[in-house]
Amino acid sequence: MTLRRAAHQVLALLRRRRLEEELESEIEAHLELAERDALARGLSREEARWEARRRFGGVEQVKEVHRERRSFVWLDALLRDLRYGLAALAHSPGFTASVVGVLALGIGANVAMFSVMDAVMLKPLPFAEPDRIVRVWEAPRPGVSNATSAANFLEWKRLATDFEALSAENALSVALQNGGEPVRLNGKAVTAEYFRVFGTQARLGRTFSAEEDQGAGARVLVLSHAAWQNDFGADPAILNRRPMLDGEPYQVIGVLAPGAFDRDETKFWKPLAFTPVERTSKSHWLMVYGRLREGVSLTQVNDRMQAVYAATMEKASEEDRQGAIVVERLGRLLVGDNLQRSISVAFGAVALVLLIACANVANLLLAKGATRSKELAVRSALGASRGRLVAQLLTETLVLCLLGGAAGVVLAGALLRVATPVLKEALPFTAAVTLDLRALGFAGTVALVVALLTGTFPAVQTSFGSLAESLNRAARGSSGSHALVRRAIVIGEVGLSLVLVCGALLLLKSLLKLQQIETGIQVEHVITTSVDLPKSSYPTPERAAQFYEAVRERLEAVPGIRRVGLTSHMPLQWIGNGEALQEPGEAKLVRVRMKRVDPGYFQTLGIPLLAGRGVTARDTASAPRVIVINEALAARLKGVGRVQEAVGRRVRVSMPPFGEPREFLPEVEIAGVIRSERAGPPGMPDPAVVYVPMAQAPVAHVQLIVLAQADAAAVVTGLREAVRSVDSKLPLGEVATLEQVRARTLSGASRPAWLIGVFAVIAALLAGIGLYGVIAHTVSQRRKEIGIRMALGARSRDVLSQVLKNAVSLVCIGLGLGLLGALALTRVMKSLLYEVSPLDPLALAAGCLAMVLIGLLAGWIPAYRAAGVDPVTTLRDEG
Amino acid sequence: MSKQQAEVPYGTLDLLVLRTLAVMGALHGYAIARRIEQVSGDTLQLSQGSVHPALIRLEQEGWIQTEWGISETNRKVKFYSITKAGRKQLLVEVANWEKATSLVARFLEES
Repeated sequence: MTLRRAAHQVLALLRRRRLEEELESEIEAHLELAERDALARGLSREEARWEARRRFGGVEQVKEVHRERRSFVWLDALLRDLRYGLAALAHSPGFTASVVGVLALGIGANVAMFSVMDAVMLKPLPFAEPDRIVRVWEAPRPGVSNATSAANFLEWKRLATDFEALSAENALSVALQNGGEPVRLNGKAVTAEYFRVFGTQARLGRTFSAEEDQGAGARVLVLSHAAWQNDFGADPAILNRRPMLDGEPYQVIGVLAPGAFDRDETKFWKPLAFTPVERTSKSHWLMVYGRLREGVSLTQVNDRMQAVYAATMEKASEEDRQGAIVVERLGRLLVGDNLQRSISVAFGAVALVLLIACANVANLLLAKGATRSKELAVRSALGASRGRLVAQLLTETLVLCLLGGAAGVVLAGALLRVATPVLKEALPFTAAVTLDLRALGFAGTVALVVALLTGTFPAVQTSFGSLAESLNRAARGSSGSHALVRRAIVIGEVGLSLVLVCGALLLLKSLLKLQQIETGIQVEHVITTSVDLPKSSYPTPERAAQFYEAVRERLEAVPGIRRVGLTSHMPLQWIGNGEALQEPGEAKLVRVRMKRVDPGYFQTLGIPLLAGRGVTARDTASAPRVIVINEALAARLKGVGRVQEAVGRRVRVSMPPFGEPREFLPEVEIAGVIRSERAGPPGMPDPAVVYVPMAQAPVAHVQLIVLAQADAAAVVTGLREAVRSVDSKLPLGEVATLEQVRARTLSGASRPAWLIGVFAVIAALLAGIGLYGVIAHTVSQRRKEIGIRMALGARSRDVLSQVLKNAVSLVCIGLGLGLLGALALTRVMKSLLYEVSPLDPLALAAGCLAMVLIGLLAGWIPAYRAAGVDPVTTLRDEG
Repeated sequence: MSKQQAEVPYGTLDLLVLRTLAVMGALHGYAIARRIEQVSGDTLQLSQGSVHPALIRLEQEGWIQTEWGISETNRKVKFYSITKAGRKQLLVEVANWEKATSLVARFLEES
């Protein structure tokens, strides 16, 4: 085709109406002239008219060929079909609404899930060249990752050559006095290169300079954009302000550009300058992040860091030298295997729902196609080619799918809005879940694929066959091969739904198991909160101990509070503080978790004492040092058969003194053994725990544990006032019931459960609707047969049971396929289940039962209607 | 209509239309169709309507041009006439046709 002609064809598209009119008048002129000639040859007016038309050929065919010649016929036809399709859809609003609704559900769920997956797994992290950002761990043993000491960090910085920037951080929580009530603000103390690691710039002012983490450290702050807006009212003169943090004035030197950090808990950063004690301490308390130099691979840096490790460990013991330094990409750290698996499974579930939705839509289209074959036969008689008819039917489907896609995007937006709090908790802060262009593109693609998937077969099927046959068939209003295909589709739907329903039931059972996990503590009626004692007003351990005393006294006086306990770590959460315990005469250290508790702790949480005594009010700073250990630790001690034998033993335990990460290994006596309380995630054995009296080893971060008489919520006000009466400048941390904490830490592993549950219900409903459609269709086709049978003496009950049998047999075949599917997915499910087999017979049986019930229900309505058939009416209708 | 009628050989309608216009000057659609029928001595089974799609294609290729005129029935109709490019194309089409027929003729002689 020449370029000239192509240009004409494009132009023709725009001048469609005019060209069409011209063609019309040309043809009319042609016929008029032919008629005139025929009249001249002596034919009658009537005969002349007929003769002109005969010689001309089919007027509509000529027009069709003309259109095809003059323009891109497919584009032209598409526009026409679109208009025609919209009109046809507007004609049957019920059909349109149900198809669009079903598709919106399927596509919406998928678009929402895609946005989550995209934000977490597909998009690069929202930092400059994120692949170069790494976390540097110490791995004292393989598989264990540990924080780093200041001494090691400084050695790495001196020796490692692969980093463009290397920075250490330590999380903080401070009281911000900004006029009015003090508020708790989370922040980080970081070394000067921190923002170079993340490639983040300041919008106002600047970030840290190289000398600001030297010496005593400058009293300066960098704020996140969100903190500037929310906590400082977006004050344009922020750089002149000196907010009081923990009672000390700080100069704000910069506000970051808006970005990923705004979604993090961290609101501010201050320089981390190491004190002389910290520089030599062996305590591991720093998280280290680095930016790799251009072109350095992860393997290279990991290899070279081994040499650095060897250098720093020269003087260390044999055992300590077993370790390694592990350099890991930030992305890998933020998005763990578990999260990836959960998202993949949830995505799989919504994809199944979409497949089922497609099956339903294909079914509806087939049913609709059957009623339209007459219309199509007429169009074909008027000169439409088969290809044109298929194209037209496909276009109608496309219109439906695009409408469904658009509704789906709206639904996805609503879903994401509702799920925001859950997502925020479950996803890393770097993931910004939004319906962006990528999500819209995904929605469009899905709509197109769905249109092809659901439209092709019904379109070909419907437009198939000769003219006479179609007209004939239309008169009878049924077709055998349609029915077969529709049955196959329903069987597939039932199978897919069963997979989802079984998956949901398995996750539900796993969730129930998680809820029954033995926590070893009193969870009901317990409320917790925390305070952080600032160094400025609590410089010494004695001052801190006085605060504990005072706060406990005030809390115990609050009406409605039964018991009060203080501790360094929240119950039911992992104890991040790892220390070492040394038995006399043993070189090998026992690794323990350390928790500091006050005399009220064990009683408040109902933790039973197994031997010796608990922590008492007599265990003050001046009294002999004691510890209480848990059962798990007692079992690890040398030569301890029964827990009683541990009591009275003297061991050494490392415990950093108040406010400074320094090595300190005092000798202590084991005063008692308590039953283990749960600290690890589900499936993890109890760690060995050392409980140290708080008065003997005070800390700045304290959890307040309060057992209420009845309603935990009722004592919150009293709790706040009690703390304020001791120190009015001390803000409280988050107030949460232990039940909330348990839900967060123990049932977190099964978060996709409720999501998949919802989708399973939708899938089962869709399968039920599909089944209903097919059975109802079969029954309506067989009205005549049923009528005859009833006239011959069949009872309603026989008809009912026959139709139901039909439905149940479809369901049973589907269940067989579904069970095979469930079997195939065992491996995937296994990693998400806690103490439940992926082939749990109860869950599988319940899933099958549910589907059979749905099948019976879907079959019952048409069956009941069939049984009510009046033989006389039907036979007369169809005779 | 007892006369034996032949169909228009495939792909030759363009040639017939161009040739007609080259000989006759400007004509409207009906006249072109009639002329082709007459020249063939009414042995050609031509659906007269099929000249219209052929005309739009030739026009788009730039081989013929149109102007509005008045028909014998006093109607505004398009008159088609051959362009310079059309005459060139006619030579090409004639050459192609002759090549094709001589090829077929040679095959027929051989057997």
